[in-house]
Amino acid sequence: MPRSLWNGTISFGLVRVPVKLHTATESKSISFRERHVSDGAAIEHRRVCVAEDREVPHSEIAKGFEVSSGSYVMLSKEEIAAAEGPEAHVIDVEHFVDGQEIDPAYYERAYYLSPGKLGDEAYRTLHSALKTSGKVGIGRFLFHGKAHLAAVRALKDVIVLHTMRFADEFVNPRELEIAKADKQPSKLEIDTARLLVDQLVASFEPDAYENSYRAAVLGVIEQKARGEKIQAPQSQEQTGEGELLSALRASLEDDGHARKRRRPASGKPQPAGKAPRSSGGAPRSPKGAVRGRGRTRGEG
Amino acid sequence: MARPLWSGSLSFGLVNVPVVLYSAVRDRGVHFSQLHEPDGSPIQTRRMCVLEEREVPWNEIAKGYEMEDGSWVLLSDEDLAAAAPRKSHTIDIEAFVEEREIDPIYLDRPYLLVPENESAARAYALLGEAMGDSGKVALGRFVMRAKEHLVSIRPRGELLTLTTMRFHDEVRADADVAAEIDVEAVPGSEQIENAIAIIAELEVPFEPAAYRDEHRAHLQRLIKRKQKGQKISVAPAVEKPKPKAAPTAPDLMGALEQSLARIRGESSGTGKKKAKKTRTSPPVPRQSGSSVKRPS
Repeated sequence: MPRSLWNGTISFGLVRVPVKLHTATESKSISFRERHVSDGAAIEHRRVCVAEDREVPHSEIAKGFEVSSGSYVMLSKEEIAAAEGPEAHVIDVEHFVDGQEIDPAYYERAYYLSPGKLGDEAYRTLHSALKTSGKVGIGRFLFHGKAHLAAVRALKDVIVLHTMRFADEFVNPRELEIAKADKQPSKLEIDTARLLVDQLVASFEPDAYENSYRAAVLGVIEQKARGEKIQAPQSQEQTGEGELLSALRASLEDDGHARKRRRPASGKPQPAGKAPRSSGGAPRSPKGAVRGRGRTRGEG
Repeated sequence: MARPLWSGSLSFGLVNVPVVLYSAVRDRGVHFSQLHEPDGSPIQTRRMCVLEEREVPWNEIAKGYEMEDGSWVLLSDEDLAAAAPRKSHTIDIEAFVEEREIDPIYLDRPYLLVPENESAARAYALLGEAMGDSGKVALGRFVMRAKEHLVSIRPRGELLTLTTMRFHDEVRADADVAAEIDVEAVPGSEQIENAIAIIAELEVPFEPAAYRDEHRAHLQRLIKRKQKGQKISVAPAVEKPKPKAAPTAPDLMGALEQSLARIRGESSGTGKKKAKKTRTSPPVPRQSGSSVKRPS
């Protein structure tokens, strides 16, 4: 039985559905530990009181908010908990929306919900109603000391909850410096690019995309363990402005290549340490416009 | 100004566009530092070499991987970059798929892709134009911060946004969770119909800006009060209304029927408009009790 991360209640209308939250995702990346380069020893993180210059135990640590440089307001756990209010264990579904209207950028983390104590019937009622209507419930709840916007929707058999970002968490793109093209793409270029898009259209099959990097990193680790030298990668390339159309056309002709990439060769780890991308490396022009034909990597 | 998190090229067929990646979100949460309770001074985390018993600077720290025999292999960032040289510098677009085919469970973090220079801007604009409003997104893979990401790229106005995604083996099957649901607890069809009716009554267009992080605002007020030397009563100073007659749900069917009656009574025929209006009104402290705004 999966362990639950959180127990609480979904409330919608006057209906309360006891639920348990389970993680729906897990990272499969290779994880590393910090080690000291010169002697390979383990690195330990120690909490040190700056004033006394001594290590302090966890029990002596409080939370402080820096109101101005070097000046803190200290808060106890109880005070922080007080800000959570009495409804800390309720997912208060305020509205229902059409899922198509939600920009995917709002979705944060996914959790599966299972019924809490005596909640099976209410859970199944909500599941059926969400599934039949195809709608997504939007509410707010506190989780790990942070308020989240949450979306609740039905999968085939279970209810899934997504924590979501608040609108004010998004960066306004106007704050970024964005290079503008002095000349917009021509109609011919756009039409040609659309043909290329069409050529690469596929249906989404998640298992067609393997994380081949994992295997590649393990390869490097093994090489390193044998004392071999690891080769450094090369710099990147760029398609020059004048070459855009010819590159597009060449891509279209290079159909075999495109087709191959449509259904990615699954899990083929790039032999680690293999000479990265051949190509004699065309010289970079002052503007950095370099011909982008060097697509001669292993799987091509 | 935000700093780019990654730079490289976006490759589409044989077209390569130099791009930089910015986070599309920033953390707006209230962050606390650790303090030493007895004297209030800040806590510093020191990275200590356990062998030498001394603090070590960042540049002396490597990524260690433990082998089966207990020995450690140390890797530098360069070693890791060499593991997948192309992927570390290029986002290869591998396919275009219908956006609605991607279950949101796969979505991870949003980023903004920006052309690196003026000469890249035209090819960048071209990709946006080619996808246009076709409802298709580009799928690709690349390596950032020693981690490979599956990504989807979609046009938003004149920009391309990139969302990192989870690989299929990082999404857990829901079978374990489904197995916990009591198969005997079959809800009646009338019950489900009532629940659907409630959903319809509470349906509004999705307006993300209408939902504010009130907890954040709460914490900020608390800090201000404390800064002024005011006492924080652990039972919150703002008297929270007692759970409004703790919505007595005698049974599920009763709760469903009462909810419907309330929502319908409250909105008196203009259900959706009313729901929207209540939502955009200034943030009220989280009401305890039901999600239905204030029984009239």
